[in-house]
Amino acid sequence: MPVLLIIVPLLALLVLNLPWMRLMNRLALWVGLILCLIQFFLVLHSPSFFWEAPPLWLGRLFLFAPSLDYLSLVMFLAIAIVGASALLVCRYSIHDLLEPVKPGACSHKRFLVINLLILALTGMNGVVLANDLFSLYVFLEITAVASYILIVAEKGRDAFEGAFKYLVMSAVATALILAAIALLMLTAGDLSYANIKLAMSASSDSHIVLAAVAMLVVGLFIKGGLIPFHGWLPDAYSAAPAAVSVLLAGIVTKTTGVYTLIRIVLSVIGFSDTLENLLLLIGAASMLVGALAALGQSDFKRMLAYSSISQVGYMVLGLGAGTILGLAGSIFHLFNHAIFKSLLFVNAAAVEQQTGTRDMNRMGGIAEKMPVTGCTSIIAFLSTAGIPPLAGFWSKLIIIVALWQSGHIAYAVLAILASLLTLAYFLSMQRRVFFGKLAAGFENLKEANVWILIPACVLAAITIGVGIGIPWLFETFLLPIRSLL
Amino acid sequence: MKFECILSLAVLAPLLGSLLLPLIGRWSERTRNWLSLILVLTSLCMAAMLIPLVTAGLTVSVQLAGFTLFYADTLAVFMAIVSSLVGAVIVLYSFGYISHYPWRNEYYFMVVLFLGAMMGLIFARNLLILYLFWEITAFACWRLIGFFREKSYVLKADKAFLVTVGGALVMLLGFIIIYNQTGSFDLDQIQKALHGRPIANIAVVLILFGILSKSATVPLHTWLPDAGVAPSPVTALLHAAVLVKIGVYVYARLFLTGMEIEPIWHTVVPAIAAISALVSAGAALIETNLKRLIAYSTISQIGFIFLGLSIGNEIGIAGGLLYILMHGIAKGGLFLCAGIVEQNAKTKDITKMGGLITTMPVTAVAFLLCAFSVMGIPPMGGFFSKYMVITGAVTSGNIVITLTFLVGAFLTIIYLLRAFTLVFLGESKLAPGFRPAEGSPSMVFSVAFLGVLSIISGLFINFPSQLVQTAVHQMLGLI
Repeated sequence: MPVLLIIVPLLALLVLNLPWMRLMNRLALWVGLILCLIQFFLVLHSPSFFWEAPPLWLGRLFLFAPSLDYLSLVMFLAIAIVGASALLVCRYSIHDLLEPVKPGACSHKRFLVINLLILALTGMNGVVLANDLFSLYVFLEITAVASYILIVAEKGRDAFEGAFKYLVMSAVATALILAAIALLMLTAGDLSYANIKLAMSASSDSHIVLAAVAMLVVGLFIKGGLIPFHGWLPDAYSAAPAAVSVLLAGIVTKTTGVYTLIRIVLSVIGFSDTLENLLLLIGAASMLVGALAALGQSDFKRMLAYSSISQVGYMVLGLGAGTILGLAGSIFHLFNHAIFKSLLFVNAAAVEQQTGTRDMNRMGGIAEKMPVTGCTSIIAFLSTAGIPPLAGFWSKLIIIVALWQSGHIAYAVLAILASLLTLAYFLSMQRRVFFGKLAAGFENLKEANVWILIPACVLAAITIGVGIGIPWLFETFLLPIRSLL
Repeated sequence: MKFECILSLAVLAPLLGSLLLPLIGRWSERTRNWLSLILVLTSLCMAAMLIPLVTAGLTVSVQLAGFTLFYADTLAVFMAIVSSLVGAVIVLYSFGYISHYPWRNEYYFMVVLFLGAMMGLIFARNLLILYLFWEITAFACWRLIGFFREKSYVLKADKAFLVTVGGALVMLLGFIIIYNQTGSFDLDQIQKALHGRPIANIAVVLILFGILSKSATVPLHTWLPDAGVAPSPVTALLHAAVLVKIGVYVYARLFLTGMEIEPIWHTVVPAIAAISALVSAGAALIETNLKRLIAYSTISQIGFIFLGLSIGNEIGIAGGLLYILMHGIAKGGLFLCAGIVEQNAKTKDITKMGGLITTMPVTAVAFLLCAFSVMGIPPMGGFFSKYMVITGAVTSGNIVITLTFLVGAFLTIIYLLRAFTLVFLGESKLAPGFRPAEGSPSMVFSVAFLGVLSIISGLFINFPSQLVQTAVHQMLGLI
C-alpha cells in the first residue's frame, strides 16, 4: 500500500486543479502541508497496516511492485520534512493573487509553484519506491521536469539560464541512463533490480554490461551534481526562487542523484574494487573542490550550492568505503544534510527577502535585527562543519571511521581536512552576513515573518535533537542499515 | 547515587542553566547576572563536595544508556575547582565590566556555557564526549572573542576558531587511531585493551597537535595574543585561567593516567615546551600592548606546566598540577587588572600610561601581587609550583631543558616588572588632566580577591599540595 504515497498526491493535484480557482488557491498550501505531515507520521509511527498490507486494487494500476526497506523509510522522512519546509517558504516568499501584483504578472504564481512542488514530491516518492529501472527512469523524469519549471517560476534572466543548464545537463544524464537501461535490458531481458543483478553476476565481465554500468553511474553523478559534472548546480540553485532552492538542495538532487546511486549500487551493481575507487575519487574531488569553490563565493545561495556539492562528496565517499559502516554514514549524512542544508537555504530565503540582496559583501551584522534567523543559521552551519553535538558531526564521524577501517586512510584524512574548509567558508559567511557590526542601510531591517521562522526553528530543533539523541538513535536509526547489505 | 547526582549537577547546572540566561535577561538584568554567578558557584560547591570522597581514593562515575558519561577522580575534581573558582570571580567581575556594552545576554550565555562545557570536558571519561565539550568551548570562545563585532575582531575570532578546531580535528584522527587499536572510545576500555602497551606514536603526535593548538604552544600559539581583542574578563577566562588549561589537562588525563606513551615523549614534549616558553617570553619583552603582553606571558607559563607534566617524575607532575592552580589565579588577576586599566585609561598601550598607582591603588597592588606569583617570588603560591617544576626537571637530569626554563623564569620577572613600572609607576603619559579612576566595586573586589588569594595559596600551601599529592598518587596508580 505504500504506493498510496504516489497516488494520493497525484489525486490531490487533480482535485486542486478543478475549476474553483479562488478556493483552490487558498487550499493548495494546506493540502501540500497535510500530505507532507501524513507522510512524516506514517514513517515515524510506521503502522504495519500501511506499510505491509497487500496492495489494493489501486496498486495493480502500476506495472511495478513497490519495494520498501529501511533506506526508503529514511528517504520518505527526509522528503516529507524538506517538502513541508519548502511549502512554508513558498508561502513566505511568493506573493499571492490577493496581494497587489504588477500588471501582466502571473497572478496565481504561488498556486502554480505549490502544485509543481507537490508534483516533484510525488516524483521523488516514486523514485524511492521504484523497484525496476524503467519506473525509476520515469519518476526521475517527473521530478526533473517539475524542477525545471520550478526554477523559472520567477521568470528572471538568471533563472532561465540556470534552468537551461540544468535541462541540458539533465538531458545528457537522461540519455545516458536510458542507454544504460537499453543495454541492460539486452543482457537481462528484464528491468527489475533483482533480475538485472542475476544477469550481471552471470556475465560480469561482458563489455556491454560494463558500458551500461559506466553510463548509469555517470548519469547519476550528473544528477547528483558531483565534480566534474557540477556545472549546472550553482546556477540552478542560486537562480531558483527561495522555496525551490530549499527543495532542490535539500532533497531533489539527493534523491535523484545520491539515493539512486546508493540504491543502484546496493541492489543492482554490487560493490567492486573499481567502483569503490571511482566513488572515492569522485567523492573526494567533489568534497574538496566544492569546499574550495565555496570559499570564494560572495553570493549567499551560490556559496550554499557549492557547499552542497562538497557535502554530496562526503556521502559518495562514505558509500565508496564499501562497508556497512560507510553505508550507514552515507545514509545518515544524506538525512542530516537534507535537514541542515534546507535550514541554511531557509535562512538564505529569509535574508534575501528582508534585505533584498544575496550579496554577502553588502550585508553585515544582521543577526542583531534578525535574531532567530541568525541563531538557526549558526546551528545549521555548525552541523554542516561537523561540530558536536550536532547531527552533522556524527554522520561525518561515521564516514571517517568507516574510511579508516576499510583502509582508505588518505581519504579519511582528506575528509577531516575538508571539515576545516567547511568551517572556514561558513565562518566567512557568518562574518559577512550575521556576526559583526550592522552594515549601513539596514537600520530598519525586520525579522522575517512566522511562515519562515517555523520551518527554521523546526529544522534547527531536528538537527539538535538528532545530534543529542544519538545514543538512542544508534539503535533505531543506524543499526537497521545492516539489513540492507 | 548521591555522589552521582552531585557530579551530574556540577556539569549540567551551568551547561543547561546557561540556556535560560538570555531569556531571563530580557526580563531582568540583575536576576540574570546573579543566576549566572550562582550557576558557576554550583559547580564549585559540587566539586568541593566531592573532595572528601576522591581524597579517600574513590572515584564516581555517571552511567547513561551503557556509556560512562562523567567520571570524577582527584585530578578531575582539582581541575574543576580551579576552573570554577576562577570562573566565578570572573563572572563577578563581569557585572561591572560588561554593563556598558550591548549583547549582554549573549555574553553571560556564552561565558556560563563555556564553563559548563569546561566542567563536562574535565569529567569526561569517553574520548568522544571529551571531543564534544572541546568543540563547545571552541564555539563559545569564537562568539566571545568576536564579542565587540568589529570586523578585524571577528576575523581574529575566526582565526582562533579555525586553529583550535583544526587542532581538534587532527586530534580526532588520533582518537580514531586509538579506537582502531583498542576498539573503544572509553578510557577504561582503552586501558584494559592496551594492557600497558604504549599507544601508536602517530596517535600521540596527532593528539599532541590538538593539545598544543588549544594550549597555544609555539608554533600554534598565534591565535592567543590576537584573541586579546575580546572583553578583558573573557581574555582572563579563556586565555589565562581556563581555556588554555584544557590542553594541559587533557595531556594529563590521556597520557599520564589513561594510556602509556613511549619514553621518548618525556624528552620531546619538554623540548617543545622549552622553545615555547623562551620564544613567547621574548615576545612579551618587546610587546607594548598590555593584553598581548600578558597573553604572551601565558604562552610562556603554559610551557612550564607542560614541562612539569611531561618530565615524567612525581614531583614534576605535582608541580605542574599546582602550577595550573597558581597560574589560573594569578594570571586571571593580571588580565582582570588589565581590564580595569584598559577600560578606564582608554588605551592598551603601556608606553602611553604611567603613574596609575595614584588613582588606582587597589588595582596596582593586586597587579603586583599577581605578578609576583607568576614570577615565582616566595611566599606567593606561584613560587611553590615553579620550584617543584624546576626540581622535577633537575631530577630528570636534562640540563639543557632545565637551564632554558631558568632563563624563561628570569625573563618572566623582567617583562612583568617592566609592565608594572610602565603602567603604574612614573609620570603619567596620558592626556594632561585625564586621571583614570578605579573600576567599579565588583571589579575592584574581584582583582583584590585574586591578589589576596595568590598570597593565601602560598601561605597555606599545605591544602592544595595535599590534594595534588593525592591526585598524583592516584594518577600514577600508587593507591
